[in-house]
Amino acid sequence: MLWYKAWLETRWRFLIGLALLVCAAAGVVFSYPKVVKLLAMVPTVDVGGELGRRIREGTELARTYRGYAWSQWFNQQLSNTWTLFAVLIGSGGLLTQSSGGAALFTLSLPVSRDRVLATRAALGLGEVLILAVVPSLLIPALSPAVGERFSVGDALVFSACMFLAGAVFFSLAVLLSTVFADVWRPLLISIAAAIALGIAEEVFRDAWPLGIFRAMSGERYFHGGGLPAGGILLSVTASVAMLYAAAMNNRRRDF
Amino acid sequence: MADVAAIEMIGLRKTYGSTEAVCGLALQVPKGSIYGFLGRNGAGKTTTIKMLLGMVAPTAGDARVFGLSIRDREASVEIRRRTGFVSEEKDLYDYMTVAEIVAFTAAFYPRWRRDLAQKYLRSFELPPDRKVKALSRGMRTKLALLLALSRGAEALVLDEPTSGLDPAMTEEVLQAIVAHVAEEELTVFFSSHQIGEVDQIADRVAIVDRGRTVVAGALEDLRERYRRIQLVFDGEAPDPVFRTPGVVRTHRRGRVLTVLASDAADRIVEETRALRPVSVDVLPVTLKEIFLETVAAEE
Repeated sequence: MLWYKAWLETRWRFLIGLALLVCAAAGVVFSYPKVVKLLAMVPTVDVGGELGRRIREGTELARTYRGYAWSQWFNQQLSNTWTLFAVLIGSGGLLTQSSGGAALFTLSLPVSRDRVLATRAALGLGEVLILAVVPSLLIPALSPAVGERFSVGDALVFSACMFLAGAVFFSLAVLLSTVFADVWRPLLISIAAAIALGIAEEVFRDAWPLGIFRAMSGERYFHGGGLPAGGILLSVTASVAMLYAAAMNNRRRDF
Repeated sequence: MADVAAIEMIGLRKTYGSTEAVCGLALQVPKGSIYGFLGRNGAGKTTTIKMLLGMVAPTAGDARVFGLSIRDREASVEIRRRTGFVSEEKDLYDYMTVAEIVAFTAAFYPRWRRDLAQKYLRSFELPPDRKVKALSRGMRTKLALLLALSRGAEALVLDEPTSGLDPAMTEEVLQAIVAHVAEEELTVFFSSHQIGEVDQIADRVAIVDRGRTVVAGALEDLRERYRRIQLVFDGEAPDPVFRTPGVVRTHRRGRVLTVLASDAADRIVEETRALRPVSVDVLPVTLKEIFLETVAAEE
């Protein structure tokens, strides 16, 4: 029944996230014909510097459907929106309930605090896994509608990278939710950390081979270089450490 | 049966920084008793209850519930399995309906009493399809009580069970508790700052103040032992120092000296003879007087 409780507490965040991502995935696929038309105009745009580099890079990627789908979906929209919802789903829990009062009822049940946290974390991880996989599978499913193909295998690999590497943000929100008694601080700090990390990875792109966002997007795999094992391992290790720290916090805390 | 402790506190202590919320409580709650835990707001009642149920870790000392130490995490789970609890704020999940929270709670208790849950749903007139957040304070209290009473528990721990209720609802809740205890033979440990309700349903009582026990015992025994001795003198009443133990407090007003005795009233009366009072009256005292006098004496 703890599963049921955790589901009731997170279902709206999960369902809204799923609906939003499904719409965004469909939007990416059905925008492709327009992008192809726009591509013809790109050689006339001559911009130098970082902006020019990015336009050229984006144009190059969009010349193939695989490149377009990866850059627009896995590297941008999924990466950003999924991270936001991973943090939203990870926020909350016993301590947040304690400010609203319901924590005492949970704590009066004959279950350990570890089990309460583990159930919530496991359900949350299940939800963020679905948020990574289901909308991504729409890319291969809808591609024939615009006369293109996208490998189901690729979609699964990219979404697995998204989940495994990105779970660190979910875990950070879970950990912060055992520190702060309100919903907002865990949420805002986790989002701020994600944004700061994203900027840092972009600025120190060459000096930072194990970037979390690069691992999330499966950039290495896209370029044919295999799975981003280093980045994923780093993220998974950090995730496990943060969930463990959250459990320790929960054990020590007075309610 | 009454000499076996369902709950035993051994020097239980809790500090928050430099504030001592509970200062070495030592109490025994006999199995089968209705034990009133009486104290003013902030006396340490809720903290004590939270420690018993593993919600707050003691700073020092220990307590045993059904012989299980509250310091042992696994034993704490077992304590909660055998205990029904109602918190002061009647905290429940607002997003569930009455039927959902009943089914949810039932899943955790192997000895859940479906018959009792149905009975209380009917007698408390709780609408199964209504969301908890839409319930009034009184209805929420009844639902919290239903969830505690139906657990098949050996003990009920109730933190201010009637707080915020009107007199009619308070009476209904107290009667439900008494009727349940009469049928199921369990131990009830309930905190309150309402002397009347403790007096009404408890058979034993502990008065706590600033985290310390100031009085504890069977209510009948306390009523038997505590006496107000009223002495009237010819002139200004003297301010004596009593040798006989048991004097809780003395009051002087004009020609009248009033002594509250917690024990040995006869010997105290004997001692006062030397003061040559004009008259001596030995009067019974109520729980309210004991509470007010002992708590005031602490100050």
